[in-house]
Amino acid sequence: MTPELRKSAPAPLAPVSFDIPQPIQATLDNGLRVVIFENERLPLVSFRLAFQSGDTNDPKDSTGLTSAVAAMLVEGTEDYTSLQLAEKIERLGSTISASASDDFTIISASALSLYSSEILHLLAEVVLRPTFPESELDLYRRNTVEHLKFQRSQPGFLAGEQAARLIYGKHPYAKVSPKAEDIEKLDRETLKNFHAETFIPNNAMFIVVGDVKRDEFLVELNELFGDWQQGSVAETDFAEPPVRNSRSLTIVDRPDSAQSNIVISNLGVKRTDPDYFPLIVMNQVLGAGASSRVFMNLREEKGYTYGAYTRLETKKLTGEFEATAEVRTAVTGDSLKEFFYELDRIRKDKVGDQELADAKNFLTGVFPLRAETQEGLTNLIVNQHLYGLPEDYLQTYRENVDAVTVDEVQRVAVRHVRPDEMAIVIVGDANEVLPQAKEYAASVEIFDTDGNRKET
Amino acid sequence: MLFRQDPAASHVFAFFRPKCFDKTSKYMSETFKLPPLAIEEYTLANGLRVVLNADNSIPVVSIAVYYNVGSRNEREGRTGFAHLFEHMMFQGSENVPKAGHFQHIMKAGGTMNGTTSSERTNYYETLPANQLPLALWLESDRMRSLAVTQENLDNQREAVKEEKRLRYDNQPYGQIFDLINEMIYKNFANSHSTIGSMEHLDDATVEDVQEFFRIYYAPNNAVLTLSGAFDKQTTKELIETYFGDIASQPLPPALDVSEPTEVAATYKEWEDKLAPFPAFLIGWKIPPRRSPEFNALYLAGKVLYDGDSSRLYQKLVKGEESVIQLFGFTDERRGPSSIFVGAIPKPEKDLSKIRETIMNEIHDLAAHGPTCEEMEKIENQLINDSVRMRQSSMSRAQQIAEFALYDGDPTLVNTDLDELLAVTAEQIRHAVGVYLNTDNRALLDVVPAGKGAAA
Repeated sequence: MTPELRKSAPAPLAPVSFDIPQPIQATLDNGLRVVIFENERLPLVSFRLAFQSGDTNDPKDSTGLTSAVAAMLVEGTEDYTSLQLAEKIERLGSTISASASDDFTIISASALSLYSSEILHLLAEVVLRPTFPESELDLYRRNTVEHLKFQRSQPGFLAGEQAARLIYGKHPYAKVSPKAEDIEKLDRETLKNFHAETFIPNNAMFIVVGDVKRDEFLVELNELFGDWQQGSVAETDFAEPPVRNSRSLTIVDRPDSAQSNIVISNLGVKRTDPDYFPLIVMNQVLGAGASSRVFMNLREEKGYTYGAYTRLETKKLTGEFEATAEVRTAVTGDSLKEFFYELDRIRKDKVGDQELADAKNFLTGVFPLRAETQEGLTNLIVNQHLYGLPEDYLQTYRENVDAVTVDEVQRVAVRHVRPDEMAIVIVGDANEVLPQAKEYAASVEIFDTDGNRKET
Repeated sequence: MLFRQDPAASHVFAFFRPKCFDKTSKYMSETFKLPPLAIEEYTLANGLRVVLNADNSIPVVSIAVYYNVGSRNEREGRTGFAHLFEHMMFQGSENVPKAGHFQHIMKAGGTMNGTTSSERTNYYETLPANQLPLALWLESDRMRSLAVTQENLDNQREAVKEEKRLRYDNQPYGQIFDLINEMIYKNFANSHSTIGSMEHLDDATVEDVQEFFRIYYAPNNAVLTLSGAFDKQTTKELIETYFGDIASQPLPPALDVSEPTEVAATYKEWEDKLAPFPAFLIGWKIPPRRSPEFNALYLAGKVLYDGDSSRLYQKLVKGEESVIQLFGFTDERRGPSSIFVGAIPKPEKDLSKIRETIMNEIHDLAAHGPTCEEMEKIENQLINDSVRMRQSSMSRAQQIAEFALYDGDPTLVNTDLDELLAVTAEQIRHAVGVYLNTDNRALLDVVPAGKGAAA
């Protein structure tokens, strides 16, 4: 190839279209919604039984209850002990896992489609007939208390804990983790009752993706889950997150830290906010990836960090915008300076046409990549249905991204990136961090790694 | 074997496994055959090995370039250099500016990265299928004409130091795997860490980068693998156009990674300022990847520590209820490799008692081998893993590239599963007896030593 031809990037080949077909939907008589996406490409199947309640739905005096119920589902049922369940699932080369997030509780199972029926039976067993054995619950309590101590050694956890407290206040999203005393008081009766009240078909959705036949599958699902009794879905009433009027600095003093973990955040929006598409385009320009502004500035130009990013967390009820980096301690203040420079710039100046086009091309181009594995495709479908996004969401996603304009990017930046009220959280060596960081905030507070306030 | 019912089938699965009495599975390996991946392999005149795996099921293409250089090729005084060099591969070449690689790939809707291990350095992209020419242009430009400046080297040196702090120095237990490798291996090529030392990173010069590029980043020291949706004829022409006239180089000097078999009973205590609890890690030196012994020990690991039904999980997390976290894995290398078991015990628990339980379980496996049920679990897990690997063009491209680079045969991607399925319970028993049921191992104790640690 001649040097001349090498000078510029080659043109792409003819585009290849990629369409995700619409899944089939059904509802069992007891209200369980079913979404079936038949895909015979590989002999695999993925199941998700998802409940519209998560950690935020913990009763006020039982923090950690939803997660405990989820974790205990596979620790003993009417027919099988914990060990028998583990052996049965793993002997099929399969997995079943259950976990709660803020908004949802999801039981996931995946297997070779040859074992589709076996794993579906086991999934029904753990969801419908768990017994929460006393000895297993006791082990869960004791192990969880140790895990709670362990996570306090991780700087990322400490930063996230403070940021959530500052942004969400009395809203349940503020709790990223239960406390030891919450876990210690969980008892078997509470778990059993909560499971009976919350794990009900009219609060759930069954999503299957993979090598299944819809008619046979629906018959089998009805046999296993058809008798599952409806219940009433609990009403929720959550406090509003606080209104913040000034920028604050919170340092978590972690002696011997080799870096400062920085999180800068403000309250954001829920997943179904109408600004969602302009927001993800704005975030792509600003900090979502390795070619975004903050990465190019803090890492590629300044060499302060291995990675600097911004992130939109959009949950069911609200969310947050945050900028994060782990930087060497000596440039903690310089890093804040560059972050705020970029946060101001995205509000003040319109993004360039090329920058906008690049961000949109990334978001539309990676879309098929995310659907390449069954796991990836399943996650797209699960999120669409759990958040109640439009029926044609996956089919129109790329059009919606393409429609975003320069003006909209600036409008959502002004609305959702608010440096004047941001909470700055830094986990690191307080003696070194404080002098560098204090000029960036109107108020300062310092905590130890146990979460106790220290004298400033 | 008493008799052979179906010669054709037994050709595919040339092994016999007794059925377990409580039959839950369908004996997949006897009824289930994965369609082979289509593999085409050829070599350009300059020595670049090319492997194509065309699969049009999703309009996505993955490109992986594997260079036959890793931290094992570093010289003394330059630990961490292969990885620092990997960063420099994103700092521009004749026609691509600094960080232009990220930007070109991302604005085309792609993802990319590079990684360094002891064995190799890889660079890879996944893109919408029609953007294949872009990836070939970018990869060929840096293979042909990497641009190195003092400023970019200084900048990436800082980024790498922050990577080291983030992933190793600022994490509780973050340094234990590098420490135990220094105990297991005696040969510098094997024993030193891939992330390297801060001092050696500081010592790296622009001339070092240029020399490393010339020696190791030649087309005849690399494998280019494509997997996904592409037209083979067009693609071959593009590959010839972009890579065909890059000059080959004399092959790098031969590397000696041989090791004495002994580790002996080595012991070390490590004071970890960030660790909240004590922990320990046991490591054994074992034969190279894909050797019959390695394969047997890889499967022994599944029996011992993989999943909630594994023996050590059931003994320690359940049973004795003595550990918070249990983990184990094998480190695959072309030369002597290793296997590890580690645990974070609960406070007040006797570490030596936990280690005794582990050694007792190893002793039992060495005496009796895995059970029929455990063999069935292994079989299903292997098949499951193998099907899952095939879903993504990038995981296919990476597996194929490894077999091409390490074994000179990319079609092993289609027979590797059969090799693992053919391992018998007796072979596992024997390998555990020889390699794990012994004092010939390294033991690292982590002692919390920070200001925050409980006294």
